[in-house]
Amino acid sequence: MSTDQLTGRNAPSVTPPSRVPPGSRRASGLRSRRMRRAGAFYVFTGPWLLGFLALTAYPLGYALWLSFTNSDGLTSHPRFVGLDNYREVFTDQDTLASLARTGLFTAVTVPLTIIAGLFLAVLVNQPIRARGVFRTLIYLPAVVPPVGAALTFKLIFDRDSGSANGLLDMLGVNGVTWLADPYARYVLIMLTLWGTGNVMIISLAGLQDIPRELHDAALVDGASQWQSFTRVTLPLLSPVLFFQVVTGIIATLQTFAPLLISLDPTPQGVSAVPESNNLIMINVFTQYFANSRYGYASALLWVLFLFIMAVTVLVFRLSKGAVFYSVDPEEKKANSRTLGGK
Amino acid sequence: MPVSPRGSFDRRRFLTASAGAAATATLSGCAASVDSGNGSGGGGKTITVMTVGEEWDAKTKKSLEKTLGITIRVITYDVTKLNALLSAKTPPDLVRGVGATDTPYFAARGLMTDLDPYIAKSKLLRPTDIAPANDVWRFDGNKQGAGPRYGLARDYSQDCMFWYRADMFEEAGLELPSATEPLSMDEWLDLGKRLTARRLGKVKVYGLSANGMGVMSQLMWMTASAGGSLFADDTATVDFSSPEARKALQWYMDYAKADIGPSLVNPNPDGWDGPTYQAGRMAMSCGGFWFGSVIAGDGKLSEVSRFAPAPQLGSHRVSPIFSGTGFWIPKDAKNKEEAWKLFELHFGGGPAEERAAAGWGMPPLNSLRSKMPQKTAMQKQAYAAQMKELPYFTVLPVSPYAQMDALNGVLSKVLPDAVKSDRAVGKVADALNSRMNEQLDRGKELVG
Repeated sequence: MSTDQLTGRNAPSVTPPSRVPPGSRRASGLRSRRMRRAGAFYVFTGPWLLGFLALTAYPLGYALWLSFTNSDGLTSHPRFVGLDNYREVFTDQDTLASLARTGLFTAVTVPLTIIAGLFLAVLVNQPIRARGVFRTLIYLPAVVPPVGAALTFKLIFDRDSGSANGLLDMLGVNGVTWLADPYARYVLIMLTLWGTGNVMIISLAGLQDIPRELHDAALVDGASQWQSFTRVTLPLLSPVLFFQVVTGIIATLQTFAPLLISLDPTPQGVSAVPESNNLIMINVFTQYFANSRYGYASALLWVLFLFIMAVTVLVFRLSKGAVFYSVDPEEKKANSRTLGGK
Repeated sequence: MPVSPRGSFDRRRFLTASAGAAATATLSGCAASVDSGNGSGGGGKTITVMTVGEEWDAKTKKSLEKTLGITIRVITYDVTKLNALLSAKTPPDLVRGVGATDTPYFAARGLMTDLDPYIAKSKLLRPTDIAPANDVWRFDGNKQGAGPRYGLARDYSQDCMFWYRADMFEEAGLELPSATEPLSMDEWLDLGKRLTARRLGKVKVYGLSANGMGVMSQLMWMTASAGGSLFADDTATVDFSSPEARKALQWYMDYAKADIGPSLVNPNPDGWDGPTYQAGRMAMSCGGFWFGSVIAGDGKLSEVSRFAPAPQLGSHRVSPIFSGTGFWIPKDAKNKEEAWKLFELHFGGGPAEERAAAGWGMPPLNSLRSKMPQKTAMQKQAYAAQMKELPYFTVLPVSPYAQMDALNGVLSKVLPDAVKSDRAVGKVADALNSRMNEQLDRGKELVG
């Protein structure tokens, strides 16, 4: 028995390896592997975690504090107003109207974008000549920065000098004030659809992941093309579509595009956004930077944040039974349990 | 990093350390946002200036740095960033601002430095030489136009004067407006209607753009011209129900309904009149003297352009300033002395002379007027018209309790629908009073 054993101290470095019991060696190896894994975990998640704390958690917390005050962002002595700002969110007619408009806009554009993207994906997935060119051309608008696309739309839809009215002029039809109410909302929807290439590219990847044999089997069984699409393609594509629905809803509820197609995307220019395009984020921007109501605007953001979370949870709940995973996550979980998982 | 007895990182400690690092990153990020501008390095202290990119060309900036022995870091003007820096008490040393609308708002919140003690000691800026238009940068704690000076205008224009295309008037067989006697607002509107050219629901040539520096300021001007005031004496409330204000409101609604120029109902896609006027698609534009520089750059356009006095709605001839863009020094600025030296030179030295000669608005000092461009016929005509207009300058105070953007926002919510549905002006006035006074009340509660 060594001194160390006598004193009870651990001195693995001086103990010859051959004398370490096999169980202890295994434990030590396990420890160092765990340590390496933990180190890798922190190295890879660390940058994200830092970003999350600095750019998400801290601003969220700060906005939460602001939402209980009447701060204008400048005065050093804002008053604590309790839940007043939150009460106002649910009684302010402008805010309620902008929330309703945002909901309607989301309900229209998300399905439209996904259907259009899926349709285009199916088209460019066909064995046609130069399909690579078509894929590129359809995807190209999605690469154009939103500000650039918005500027182009402004020029196209200007009442007096835009090409849209130029076309109507050639047909002898009166020009339309596209960028004002009530037409401005249609221009905004068109601008949103402009980026449908993103949906197309993700749907295309999903389509290409579906084994051809399944379609062949369906055809052998007498299924029509439409039946093959609805009974084979759509169910197998449903996880991809579901992902796009969720991300689409979240992005659309936060859309800022109306300001981009307004005349001047600044606090001065925000007043020029037509009422029909006055979505919730435009209202938030106005309250922050034109009306200097930092407290109220922060309350609006928190309500929007909770609303988005609630909608996301609801969509997940509603999707049960409509989304088919090629490997059932529940089954996988059960299998991993039986196969010796923790 | 401590290692736990179990051989793995202590997650709690890691999160604590991460939070600390994140806070540090955030704070250093804030500092970086001030220092991230371009500084060429002239030695000495570095002062931060928040302004637009074209404030100084590289040569002028270098010369300023050499003369003053400082380094100038320019950060691009962004009102959201400015608010953040002001509230964090780490503002730039010198900030570009719009005197007519920014001064009461920032001064009432104690964010601006009183420049009077500096001006009293200055050799370049003598109080007697400072043009009266700079009074828009004064605020006595209650009202704009009196009290300490918080800034100066780098240039200014009487923003309700207007430019017109003489060739379009002649083509329409209309008499040219006088360079010295103002038109009535009704005459102005009538001319606008006659000069407008249409085709299939589209306006090919706008007869008149009457938006000036924003609809709220236009309504303030018209109401004053009719003998009233939109704001109460303490600027804590607005009143659109007075006969003068209703007259002004009615005029603007008639103008918007006539569809003879950009308005809240049909905004200009360019956001301002310049491109439309230059393209020969606008006969009259309510833009002050500075707009002449846009015109002067085009030989043909300058041959046919003329400058005219601000029209009148009533019997009072008023010709206010709604911009007066210049600089101010924040109260919490770290390098006030250096900022002042740059300010002084910028407003009273070589750069001021160069600006006056370029014709981008009237110079801030009376002594610099002789430098204004008077070479071409257009420049001579504009100069003469401007000199005749100077006595009619008056400060139309804005409220410290709400930003003009907020009040313009209310107008753009209420007016388009009111114009389209032919709503009675009294009802429109009530809606505006209610919404704007609500905003002003909130501001008053904060400012006290």
